[in-house]
Amino acid sequence: MNRRSKNFVALCSIAALTIAAAPAASAMHIMEGFLQPTYCIMWGALCIPFIVLGFMKINKTLASDRKLIVMLSMAGAFAFILSALKIPSFTGSCSHMTGTGLCAILFGPCATAIIGAIVLLFQALLLAHGGVTTLGANIFSMAIAGPIVSWLIYKALKATKIPRYITVFLAAALGDLFTYCVTAFELAIAHPAADGGFAASLTEFMGIFAVTQIPLAVVEGFITVVVVMGLESFAASDLISLGFLKKGMKKEALHE
Amino acid sequence: MKPHHHPHKHSHDTFSIDQCAFQSGLSHVNPGFKAAFSIITLIFVLSADKLLISLLVFAAMYYLTVVKGGLSAHRYLSYLTIPMLFAFAAVLAVALGFSTKALGEYRIHLFFFYIYTSRAELWYGLCLLCRVFSAVSCLYFLSLSTPVNEIICVLQDCHLPTLITELMNMIYRFIFILMEVQQKMSVSARSRLGYSGTRTSLRTFGNIGANLFILSMKKANRYYDALLSRCYDGQLNFLTEEKPFDKKLLIYALLYFIALAVIWILT
Repeated sequence: MNRRSKNFVALCSIAALTIAAAPAASAMHIMEGFLQPTYCIMWGALCIPFIVLGFMKINKTLASDRKLIVMLSMAGAFAFILSALKIPSFTGSCSHMTGTGLCAILFGPCATAIIGAIVLLFQALLLAHGGVTTLGANIFSMAIAGPIVSWLIYKALKATKIPRYITVFLAAALGDLFTYCVTAFELAIAHPAADGGFAASLTEFMGIFAVTQIPLAVVEGFITVVVVMGLESFAASDLISLGFLKKGMKKEALHE
Repeated sequence: MKPHHHPHKHSHDTFSIDQCAFQSGLSHVNPGFKAAFSIITLIFVLSADKLLISLLVFAAMYYLTVVKGGLSAHRYLSYLTIPMLFAFAAVLAVALGFSTKALGEYRIHLFFFYIYTSRAELWYGLCLLCRVFSAVSCLYFLSLSTPVNEIICVLQDCHLPTLITELMNMIYRFIFILMEVQQKMSVSARSRLGYSGTRTSLRTFGNIGANLFILSMKKANRYYDALLSRCYDGQLNFLTEEKPFDKKLLIYALLYFIALAVIWILT
Protein backbone atom coordinates (compact mmCIF):
# COMPACT_ATOMS: atom_id res chain seq x y z
CA MET A 1 0.00 0.00 0.00
CA ASN A 2 1.53 3.31 -0.96
CA ARG A 3 1.41 6.36 1.25
CA ARG A 4 -1.46 7.99 -0.52
CA SER A 5 -3.82 5.04 -0.41
CA LYS A 6 -2.84 4.47 3.19
CA ASN A 7 -3.87 7.98 4.08
CA PHE A 8 -7.09 7.47 2.19
CA VAL A 9 -7.90 4.30 4.14
CA ALA A 10 -7.01 6.09 7.35
CA LEU A 11 -9.32 9.00 6.62
CA CYS A 12 -12.13 6.66 5.61
CA SER A 13 -11.86 4.63 8.77
CA ILE A 14 -11.80 7.74 10.93
CA ALA A 15 -14.91 9.01 9.18
CA ALA A 16 -16.58 5.62 9.54
CA LEU A 17 -15.69 5.41 13.21
CA THR A 18 -16.99 8.87 14.04
CA ILE A 19 -20.19 8.18 12.16
CA ALA A 20 -20.51 4.84 13.90
CA ALA A 21 -19.78 6.37 17.27
CA ALA A 22 -22.14 9.29 16.79
CA PRO A 23 -25.41 7.43 17.17
CA ALA A 24 -24.05 5.32 20.00
CA ALA A 25 -22.94 8.36 21.86
CA SER A 26 -25.88 10.60 21.19
CA ALA A 27 -28.25 7.92 22.36
CA MET A 28 -26.84 8.70 25.82
CA HIS A 29 -28.93 5.91 27.24
CA ILE A 30 -27.10 2.69 27.99
CA MET A 31 -28.87 -0.03 26.07
CA GLU A 32 -30.77 -2.96 27.44
CA GLY A 33 -28.42 -5.88 28.00
CA PHE A 34 -25.25 -3.82 27.85
CA LEU A 35 -24.35 -4.08 31.53
CA GLN A 36 -23.61 -7.14 33.60
CA PRO A 37 -26.04 -7.93 36.46
CA THR A 38 -23.54 -6.74 39.10
CA TYR A 39 -23.43 -3.26 37.58
CA CYS A 40 -27.17 -3.17 37.02
CA ILE A 41 -27.68 -3.79 40.72
CA MET A 42 -24.87 -1.49 41.80
CA TRP A 43 -26.10 1.55 39.88
CA GLY A 44 -29.67 0.81 40.88
CA ALA A 45 -28.66 0.71 44.54
CA LEU A 46 -26.76 3.99 44.17
CA CYS A 47 -29.93 5.66 42.92
CA ILE A 48 -32.09 4.58 45.84
CA PRO A 49 -31.03 7.25 48.38
CA PHE A 50 -31.63 10.03 45.85
CA ILE A 51 -34.98 8.63 44.81
CA VAL A 52 -36.06 8.26 48.44
CA LEU A 53 -34.94 11.82 49.18
CA GLY A 54 -36.86 13.11 46.16
CA PHE A 55 -39.89 11.07 47.19
CA MET A 56 -39.88 12.52 50.70
CA LYS A 57 -39.43 16.04 49.40
CA ILE A 58 -42.30 15.73 46.93
CA ASN A 59 -44.51 14.12 49.56
CA LYS A 60 -43.87 17.01 51.92
CA THR A 61 -44.64 19.66 49.31
CA LEU A 62 -47.74 17.75 48.21
CA ALA A 63 -49.14 17.83 51.74
CA SER A 64 -49.31 21.62 51.54
CA ASP A 65 -50.26 21.89 47.88
CA ARG A 66 -52.04 19.04 46.16
CA LYS A 67 -52.00 20.74 42.80
CA LEU A 68 -48.31 20.11 42.52
CA ILE A 69 -48.85 16.49 41.47
CA VAL A 70 -50.56 17.56 38.25
CA MET A 71 -47.85 20.12 37.58
CA LEU A 72 -45.11 17.59 38.19
CA SER A 73 -46.80 15.09 35.89
CA MET A 74 -47.06 17.72 33.19
CA ALA A 75 -43.40 18.52 33.70
CA GLY A 76 -42.59 14.83 33.30
CA ALA A 77 -44.60 14.61 30.10
CA PHE A 78 -42.87 17.77 28.90
CA ALA A 79 -39.45 16.31 29.62
CA PHE A 80 -40.42 13.14 27.77
CA ILE A 81 -41.53 15.05 24.67
CA LEU A 82 -38.50 17.31 24.72
CA SER A 83 -36.13 14.37 24.88
CA ALA A 84 -38.04 12.35 22.30
CA LEU A 85 -37.82 15.11 19.69
CA LYS A 86 -34.96 15.26 17.29
CA ILE A 87 -32.96 18.43 17.51
CA PRO A 88 -33.04 20.05 14.08
CA SER A 89 -29.85 21.01 12.27
CA PHE A 90 -27.79 17.89 12.73
CA THR A 91 -28.65 16.19 9.51
CA GLY A 92 -28.34 12.46 9.60
CA SER A 93 -27.60 12.09 13.26
CA CYS A 94 -30.26 11.40 15.84
CA SER A 95 -29.44 13.96 18.44
CA HIS A 96 -31.80 14.42 21.34
CA MET A 97 -31.87 16.79 24.25
CA THR A 98 -31.60 15.38 27.70
CA GLY A 99 -33.78 18.19 29.04
CA THR A 100 -32.35 17.43 32.46
CA GLY A 101 -30.67 20.81 32.84
CA LEU A 102 -33.94 22.61 32.18
CA CYS A 103 -35.81 20.37 34.62
CA ALA A 104 -33.19 20.87 37.31
CA ILE A 105 -33.31 24.66 36.87
CA LEU A 106 -37.11 24.73 36.94
CA PHE A 107 -37.88 22.13 39.59
CA GLY A 108 -34.72 21.44 41.54
CA PRO A 109 -32.75 18.20 41.66
CA CYS A 110 -35.01 16.25 44.05
CA ALA A 111 -38.11 16.41 41.89
CA THR A 112 -35.99 15.83 38.80
CA ALA A 113 -34.71 12.54 40.21
CA ILE A 114 -38.25 11.14 40.56
CA ILE A 115 -39.63 12.56 37.34
CA GLY A 116 -36.48 11.57 35.47
CA ALA A 117 -36.73 8.00 36.72
CA ILE A 118 -40.32 7.70 35.49
CA VAL A 119 -39.52 9.36 32.17
CA LEU A 120 -36.59 7.02 31.62
CA LEU A 121 -38.78 3.99 32.29
CA PHE A 122 -41.29 5.25 29.75
CA GLN A 123 -38.54 5.91 27.24
CA ALA A 124 -37.39 2.33 27.63
CA LEU A 125 -40.91 0.95 27.21
CA LEU A 126 -42.30 3.27 24.55
CA LEU A 127 -39.24 4.23 22.51
CA ALA A 128 -36.76 1.45 23.37
CA HIS A 129 -34.26 4.12 24.46
CA GLY A 130 -32.37 2.52 27.30
CA GLY A 131 -33.74 -0.51 29.05
CA VAL A 132 -35.19 -2.03 32.18
CA THR A 133 -32.01 -3.60 33.51
CA THR A 134 -29.90 -0.55 32.66
CA LEU A 135 -32.50 1.75 34.21
CA GLY A 136 -30.41 2.23 37.36
CA ALA A 137 -27.32 3.32 35.44
CA ASN A 138 -29.35 5.62 33.21
CA ILE A 139 -31.21 7.16 36.14
CA PHE A 140 -27.92 7.78 37.88
CA SER A 141 -26.29 9.52 34.93
CA MET A 142 -29.24 11.39 33.46
CA ALA A 143 -31.67 12.01 36.29
CA ILE A 144 -29.28 12.39 39.24
CA ALA A 145 -25.68 13.28 38.36
CA GLY A 146 -26.35 15.68 35.47
CA PRO A 147 -29.21 17.58 37.11
CA ILE A 148 -27.30 17.98 40.38
CA VAL A 149 -24.38 19.54 38.52
CA SER A 150 -26.71 21.80 36.51
CA TRP A 151 -28.51 22.88 39.63
CA LEU A 152 -25.30 23.54 41.58
CA ILE A 153 -23.85 25.63 38.75
CA TYR A 154 -27.09 27.52 38.39
CA LYS A 155 -27.28 28.21 42.14
CA ALA A 156 -23.65 29.20 42.39
CA LEU A 157 -23.57 31.50 39.38
CA LYS A 158 -26.92 33.10 40.14
CA ALA A 159 -25.41 34.73 43.18
CA THR A 160 -22.65 36.32 41.08
CA LYS A 161 -22.96 39.13 38.55
CA ILE A 162 -22.65 36.86 35.53
CA PRO A 163 -25.52 37.53 33.08
CA ARG A 164 -28.44 35.24 33.64
CA TYR A 165 -28.47 33.69 30.20
CA ILE A 166 -24.84 32.72 30.47
CA THR A 167 -25.65 31.12 33.82
CA VAL A 168 -28.47 29.10 32.27
CA PHE A 169 -26.31 28.17 29.29
CA LEU A 170 -23.44 26.97 31.46
CA ALA A 171 -25.74 25.07 33.80
CA ALA A 172 -27.41 23.19 30.96
CA ALA A 173 -24.31 22.58 28.86
CA LEU A 174 -22.04 21.50 31.71
CA GLY A 175 -24.76 19.37 33.28
CA ASP A 176 -25.12 17.69 29.90
CA LEU A 177 -21.38 17.09 29.61
CA PHE A 178 -21.25 15.68 33.11
CA THR A 179 -24.02 13.25 32.20
CA TYR A 180 -21.84 11.98 29.33
CA CYS A 181 -18.81 11.69 31.60
CA VAL A 182 -20.82 9.55 34.01
CA THR A 183 -22.15 7.45 31.13
CA ALA A 184 -18.60 6.97 29.84
CA PHE A 185 -17.53 5.94 33.33
CA GLU A 186 -20.40 3.45 33.59
CA LEU A 187 -19.54 1.94 30.21
CA ALA A 188 -15.81 1.79 30.85
CA ILE A 189 -16.13 0.14 34.25
CA ALA A 190 -18.45 -2.51 32.79
CA HIS A 191 -16.31 -3.17 29.71
CA PRO A 192 -12.65 -2.53 30.52
CA ALA A 193 -10.24 -2.90 27.58
CA ALA A 194 -8.09 -6.01 27.37
CA ASP A 195 -4.93 -3.90 27.16
CA GLY A 196 -4.83 -1.09 29.66
CA GLY A 197 -8.07 -2.06 31.41
CA PHE A 198 -10.46 0.47 32.85
CA ALA A 199 -8.30 3.56 32.28
CA ALA A 200 -7.82 2.79 28.59
CA SER A 201 -11.53 2.24 28.00
CA LEU A 202 -12.44 5.33 29.96
CA THR A 203 -10.12 7.46 27.80
CA GLU A 204 -11.58 5.85 24.70
CA PHE A 205 -15.21 6.39 25.65
CA MET A 206 -14.41 9.92 26.81
CA GLY A 207 -12.67 10.60 23.49
CA ILE A 208 -15.66 9.41 21.49
CA PHE A 209 -18.02 11.40 23.67
CA ALA A 210 -15.85 14.51 23.43
CA VAL A 211 -16.02 14.48 19.63
CA THR A 212 -19.75 13.91 19.42
CA GLN A 213 -21.10 15.40 22.61
CA ILE A 214 -19.44 18.78 23.06
CA PRO A 215 -21.33 20.26 20.09
CA LEU A 216 -24.53 18.67 21.38
CA ALA A 217 -23.98 20.07 24.84
CA VAL A 218 -23.56 23.53 23.33
CA VAL A 219 -26.80 23.07 21.38
CA GLU A 220 -28.59 21.88 24.50
CA GLY A 221 -27.32 24.93 26.38
CA PHE A 222 -28.50 27.22 23.59
CA ILE A 223 -31.96 25.66 23.43
CA THR A 224 -32.32 25.81 27.20
CA VAL A 225 -31.49 29.53 27.08
CA VAL A 226 -34.11 30.07 24.37
CA VAL A 227 -36.70 28.19 26.45
CA VAL A 228 -35.92 30.20 29.58
CA MET A 229 -35.97 33.46 27.61
CA GLY A 230 -39.30 32.48 26.13
CA LEU A 231 -40.71 31.64 29.54
CA GLU A 232 -39.66 35.01 30.89
CA SER A 233 -40.76 37.12 27.97
CA PHE A 234 -44.23 35.83 27.39
CA ALA A 235 -45.00 33.86 30.43
CA ALA A 236 -44.06 35.61 33.64
CA SER A 237 -47.60 36.80 34.33
CA ASP A 238 -49.14 33.52 33.24
CA LEU A 239 -46.82 31.53 35.42
CA ILE A 240 -47.58 33.77 38.40
CA SER A 241 -51.31 33.37 37.94
CA LEU A 242 -50.86 29.64 37.71
CA GLY A 243 -49.05 29.63 41.00
CA PHE A 244 -45.91 28.34 39.39
CA LEU A 245 -44.15 31.61 40.08
CA LYS A 246 -45.23 33.20 43.32
CA LYS A 247 -46.32 36.83 43.26
CA GLY A 248 -43.69 39.39 44.08
CA MET A 249 -40.97 36.93 43.39
CA LYS A 250 -38.05 38.03 41.34
CA LYS A 251 -37.81 36.71 37.84
CA GLU A 252 -34.53 35.11 38.74
CA ALA A 253 -36.18 32.65 41.05
CA LEU A 254 -38.07 30.84 38.34
CA HIS A 255 -37.67 27.45 39.86
CA GLU A 256 -38.83 28.22 43.36
CA MET B 1 -29.69 22.39 4.59
CA LYS B 2 -31.54 19.25 3.77
CA PRO B 3 -35.23 19.48 4.59
CA HIS B 4 -36.47 17.07 7.22
CA HIS B 5 -38.87 14.71 5.63
CA HIS B 6 -39.79 12.86 8.79
CA PRO B 7 -39.75 15.49 11.49
CA HIS B 8 -42.00 13.49 13.79
CA LYS B 9 -40.69 10.04 13.26
CA HIS B 10 -40.26 9.54 16.95
CA SER B 11 -43.71 10.71 17.85
CA HIS B 12 -45.14 8.14 15.48
CA ASP B 13 -42.92 5.56 17.11
CA THR B 14 -44.31 6.53 20.48
CA PHE B 15 -47.82 5.91 19.39
CA SER B 16 -47.06 2.84 17.35
CA ILE B 17 -45.38 0.73 20.06
CA ASP B 18 -48.28 1.61 22.31
CA GLN B 19 -50.82 0.70 19.63
CA CYS B 20 -49.10 -2.61 18.96
CA ALA B 21 -49.36 -3.39 22.66
CA PHE B 22 -53.13 -2.92 22.58
CA GLN B 23 -53.57 -4.92 19.37
CA SER B 24 -51.24 -7.75 20.32
CA GLY B 25 -52.54 -11.29 20.29
CA LEU B 26 -51.02 -11.68 23.74
CA SER B 27 -52.91 -8.77 25.24
CA HIS B 28 -55.35 -11.12 27.00
CA VAL B 29 -52.54 -12.77 28.98
CA ASN B 30 -52.11 -11.70 32.59
CA PRO B 31 -49.77 -8.65 32.57
CA GLY B 32 -48.01 -9.64 35.78
CA PHE B 33 -47.12 -12.96 34.20
CA LYS B 34 -45.76 -11.30 31.07
CA ALA B 35 -43.69 -8.83 33.08
CA ALA B 36 -42.26 -11.57 35.29
CA PHE B 37 -41.55 -13.77 32.27
CA SER B 38 -39.69 -11.01 30.48
CA ILE B 39 -37.68 -9.93 33.56
CA ILE B 40 -36.69 -13.50 34.49
CA THR B 41 -35.59 -14.18 30.92
CA LEU B 42 -33.57 -10.96 31.00
CA ILE B 43 -31.85 -12.09 34.19
CA PHE B 44 -31.06 -15.41 32.48
CA VAL B 45 -29.57 -13.69 29.45
CA LEU B 46 -27.45 -11.30 31.47
CA SER B 47 -26.16 -13.71 34.08
CA ALA B 48 -25.50 -16.60 31.69
CA ASP B 49 -23.84 -14.33 29.11
CA LYS B 50 -23.52 -17.23 26.65
CA LEU B 51 -23.89 -16.88 22.91
CA LEU B 52 -26.17 -19.92 22.61
CA ILE B 53 -28.56 -18.75 25.33
CA SER B 54 -28.72 -15.27 23.79
CA LEU B 55 -29.62 -16.72 20.40
CA LEU B 56 -32.19 -19.12 21.85
CA VAL B 57 -33.85 -16.37 23.86
CA PHE B 58 -33.96 -14.12 20.82
CA ALA B 59 -35.61 -16.89 18.80
CA ALA B 60 -38.14 -17.55 21.55
CA MET B 61 -38.98 -13.87 21.94
CA TYR B 62 -39.30 -13.47 18.19
CA TYR B 63 -41.68 -16.45 18.12
CA LEU B 64 -43.77 -15.06 20.97
CA THR B 65 -43.98 -11.51 19.63
CA VAL B 66 -44.40 -12.21 15.93
CA VAL B 67 -46.11 -15.60 15.72
CA LYS B 68 -48.15 -15.53 18.93
CA GLY B 69 -48.54 -11.77 19.20
CA GLY B 70 -49.45 -11.39 15.54
CA LEU B 71 -47.09 -8.49 14.85
CA SER B 72 -45.83 -8.37 11.28
CA ALA B 73 -42.25 -9.56 10.98
CA HIS B 74 -41.40 -6.52 8.87
CA ARG B 75 -42.60 -4.18 11.59
CA TYR B 76 -40.80 -6.10 14.30
CA LEU B 77 -37.51 -5.96 12.41
CA SER B 78 -37.94 -2.28 11.70
CA TYR B 79 -38.38 -1.70 15.44
CA LEU B 80 -35.16 -3.61 15.99
CA THR B 81 -33.14 -1.69 13.39
CA ILE B 82 -32.56 1.52 15.32
CA PRO B 83 -31.53 -0.05 18.63
CA MET B 84 -29.34 -2.43 16.68
CA LEU B 85 -27.48 0.40 14.96
CA PHE B 86 -26.80 1.91 18.37
CA ALA B 87 -25.77 -1.45 19.74
CA PHE B 88 -23.47 -2.16 16.84
CA ALA B 89 -21.70 1.17 17.21
CA ALA B 90 -21.38 0.77 20.97
CA VAL B 91 -20.00 -2.76 20.56
CA LEU B 92 -17.44 -1.44 18.05
CA ALA B 93 -16.31 1.04 20.65
CA VAL B 94 -15.93 -1.79 23.15
CA ALA B 95 -14.13 -4.20 20.81
CA LEU B 96 -11.75 -1.72 19.20
CA GLY B 97 -8.96 0.00 21.07
CA PHE B 98 -7.01 3.15 20.32
CA SER B 99 -3.36 3.47 21.19
CA THR B 100 -0.17 5.22 20.13
CA LYS B 101 1.67 1.91 20.52
CA ALA B 102 1.24 -1.15 18.34
CA LEU B 103 -0.96 -3.42 20.46
CA GLY B 104 -3.33 -6.28 19.74
CA GLU B 105 -3.45 -8.95 17.06
CA TYR B 106 -5.00 -6.86 14.30
CA ARG B 107 -4.28 -3.21 13.85
CA ILE B 108 -4.54 -0.31 11.43
CA HIS B 109 -1.95 2.42 11.65
CA LEU B 110 -3.41 5.87 11.24
CA PHE B 111 -1.26 9.02 11.24
CA PHE B 112 -0.04 8.88 14.83
CA PHE B 113 -2.11 6.16 16.48
CA TYR B 114 -3.31 2.61 16.03
CA ILE B 115 -6.77 1.17 16.00
CA TYR B 116 -6.29 -2.33 17.25
CA THR B 117 -8.24 -5.39 18.29
CA SER B 118 -7.70 -9.04 19.02
CA ARG B 119 -9.55 -12.26 18.38
CA ALA B 120 -10.64 -12.42 22.03
CA GLU B 121 -11.97 -8.88 21.92
CA LEU B 122 -13.84 -9.50 18.69
CA TRP B 123 -15.42 -12.61 20.24
CA TYR B 124 -16.32 -10.59 23.33
CA GLY B 125 -17.90 -7.98 21.06
CA LEU B 126 -19.90 -10.58 19.17
CA CYS B 127 -21.21 -12.14 22.40
CA LEU B 128 -22.07 -8.69 23.70
CA LEU B 129 -23.93 -7.81 20.50
CA CYS B 130 -25.99 -11.00 20.70
CA ARG B 131 -26.66 -10.40 24.39
CA VAL B 132 -27.94 -6.90 23.62
CA PHE B 133 -30.03 -8.32 20.77
CA SER B 134 -31.76 -10.85 22.96
CA ALA B 135 -32.14 -8.43 25.87
CA VAL B 136 -33.81 -5.89 23.57
CA SER B 137 -36.09 -8.64 22.27
CA CYS B 138 -37.12 -9.39 25.88
CA LEU B 139 -37.89 -5.72 26.43
CA TYR B 140 -39.86 -5.60 23.17
CA PHE B 141 -41.79 -8.72 24.16
CA LEU B 142 -43.03 -6.83 27.20
CA SER B 143 -43.64 -3.45 25.60
CA LEU B 144 -45.23 -4.83 22.42
CA SER B 145 -47.67 -7.05 24.30
CA THR B 146 -48.48 -5.06 27.44
CA PRO B 147 -49.84 -1.50 27.41
CA VAL B 148 -48.15 0.88 29.84
CA ASN B 149 -51.25 1.31 32.00
CA GLU B 150 -51.22 -2.44 32.71
CA ILE B 151 -47.53 -2.30 33.56
CA ILE B 152 -48.34 0.48 36.03
CA CYS B 153 -51.01 -1.78 37.57
CA VAL B 154 -48.41 -4.51 37.96
CA LEU B 155 -46.08 -2.06 39.71
CA GLN B 156 -48.98 -1.06 41.95
CA ASP B 157 -49.47 -4.71 42.87
CA CYS B 158 -45.76 -4.80 43.76
CA HIS B 159 -46.58 -2.13 46.38
CA LEU B 160 -44.83 0.74 44.71
CA PRO B 161 -45.96 3.90 46.61
CA THR B 162 -49.22 5.37 45.32
CA LEU B 163 -47.52 8.72 44.69
CA ILE B 164 -45.20 7.13 42.14
CA THR B 165 -47.87 5.13 40.32
CA GLU B 166 -50.08 8.21 40.39
CA LEU B 167 -47.34 10.27 38.75
CA MET B 168 -46.77 7.50 36.22
CA ASN B 169 -50.44 7.29 35.30
CA MET B 170 -50.69 11.02 34.81
CA ILE B 171 -47.41 11.38 32.91
CA TYR B 172 -48.43 8.55 30.60
CA ARG B 173 -51.68 10.29 29.77
CA PHE B 174 -50.18 13.76 29.47
CA ILE B 175 -47.51 12.56 27.04
CA PHE B 176 -50.13 11.95 24.36
CA ILE B 177 -51.82 15.28 24.96
CA LEU B 178 -48.59 17.25 24.76
CA MET B 179 -47.37 15.29 21.76
CA GLU B 180 -50.43 16.36 19.81
CA VAL B 181 -50.00 20.00 20.81
CA GLN B 182 -46.32 19.89 19.91
CA GLN B 183 -47.10 18.50 16.48
CA LYS B 184 -49.58 21.29 15.80
CA MET B 185 -47.07 23.91 16.92
CA SER B 186 -44.39 22.40 14.77
CA VAL B 187 -46.66 22.33 11.70
CA SER B 188 -47.59 25.97 12.18
CA ALA B 189 -43.93 26.92 12.69
CA ARG B 190 -43.04 25.07 9.51
CA SER B 191 -45.72 26.91 7.57
CA ARG B 192 -44.10 30.16 8.66
CA LEU B 193 -40.63 29.01 7.51
CA GLY B 194 -39.59 28.38 11.09
CA TYR B 195 -37.18 25.65 10.09
CA SER B 196 -35.26 27.40 7.33
CA GLY B 197 -31.65 27.31 8.34
CA THR B 198 -29.88 25.99 11.38
CA ARG B 199 -30.10 29.06 13.59
CA THR B 200 -33.78 29.59 12.91
CA SER B 201 -34.51 25.91 13.46
CA LEU B 202 -32.81 25.90 16.82
CA ARG B 203 -34.62 29.07 17.86
CA THR B 204 -37.95 27.63 16.72
CA PHE B 205 -37.22 24.41 18.61
CA GLY B 206 -36.51 26.40 21.76
CA ASN B 207 -39.55 28.64 21.36
CA ILE B 208 -41.81 25.65 20.86
CA GLY B 209 -40.28 24.21 24.00
CA ALA B 210 -41.06 27.35 25.99
CA ASN B 211 -44.56 27.60 24.58
CA LEU B 212 -45.24 23.95 25.22
CA PHE B 213 -44.12 24.33 28.81
CA ILE B 214 -46.47 27.24 29.47
CA LEU B 215 -49.30 25.46 27.75
CA SER B 216 -48.66 22.30 29.73
CA MET B 217 -48.80 24.24 32.99
CA LYS B 218 -52.07 25.89 31.94
CA LYS B 219 -53.50 22.51 31.07
CA ALA B 220 -52.26 21.11 34.38
CA ASN B 221 -54.23 23.83 36.13
CA ARG B 222 -57.40 22.95 34.26
CA TYR B 223 -56.97 19.21 34.77
CA TYR B 224 -56.51 19.75 38.46
CA ASP B 225 -59.82 21.62 38.63
CA ALA B 226 -61.45 18.83 36.67
CA LEU B 227 -59.99 16.23 39.02
CA LEU B 228 -61.11 18.17 42.11
CA SER B 229 -64.64 18.50 40.78
CA ARG B 230 -64.68 14.71 40.52
CA CYS B 231 -63.61 14.33 44.15
CA TYR B 232 -59.94 13.58 43.55
CA ASP B 233 -58.27 12.84 46.87
CA GLY B 234 -54.80 11.71 45.85
CA GLN B 235 -55.76 8.44 44.24
CA LEU B 236 -57.00 7.74 40.77
CA ASN B 237 -58.98 4.55 40.47
CA PHE B 238 -59.11 2.93 37.08
CA LEU B 239 -61.36 0.07 36.12
CA THR B 240 -58.96 -2.63 35.07
CA GLU B 241 -59.94 -5.59 33.03
CA GLU B 242 -59.45 -8.83 34.94
CA LYS B 243 -57.01 -10.99 33.03
CA PRO B 244 -57.06 -14.47 34.51
CA PHE B 245 -53.83 -16.23 35.21
CA ASP B 246 -53.39 -19.25 32.95
CA LYS B 247 -51.75 -22.23 34.70
CA LYS B 248 -50.88 -23.90 31.41
CA LEU B 249 -48.70 -20.92 30.46
CA LEU B 250 -46.96 -21.11 33.81
CA ILE B 251 -46.01 -24.73 33.11
CA TYR B 252 -44.71 -23.78 29.65
CA ALA B 253 -42.69 -20.94 31.14
CA LEU B 254 -41.23 -23.22 33.82
CA LEU B 255 -40.25 -25.81 31.20
CA TYR B 256 -38.64 -23.05 29.17
CA PHE B 257 -36.64 -21.79 32.13
CA ILE B 258 -35.54 -25.32 33.05
CA ALA B 259 -34.40 -25.86 29.47
CA LEU B 260 -32.43 -22.61 29.57
CA ALA B 261 -30.86 -23.57 32.89
CA VAL B 262 -29.86 -26.98 31.54
CA ILE B 263 -28.24 -25.42 28.48
CA TRP B 264 -26.48 -22.91 30.72
CA ILE B 265 -25.02 -25.68 32.85
CA LEU B 266 -24.07 -27.91 29.92
CA THR B 267 -22.33 -25.27 27.78
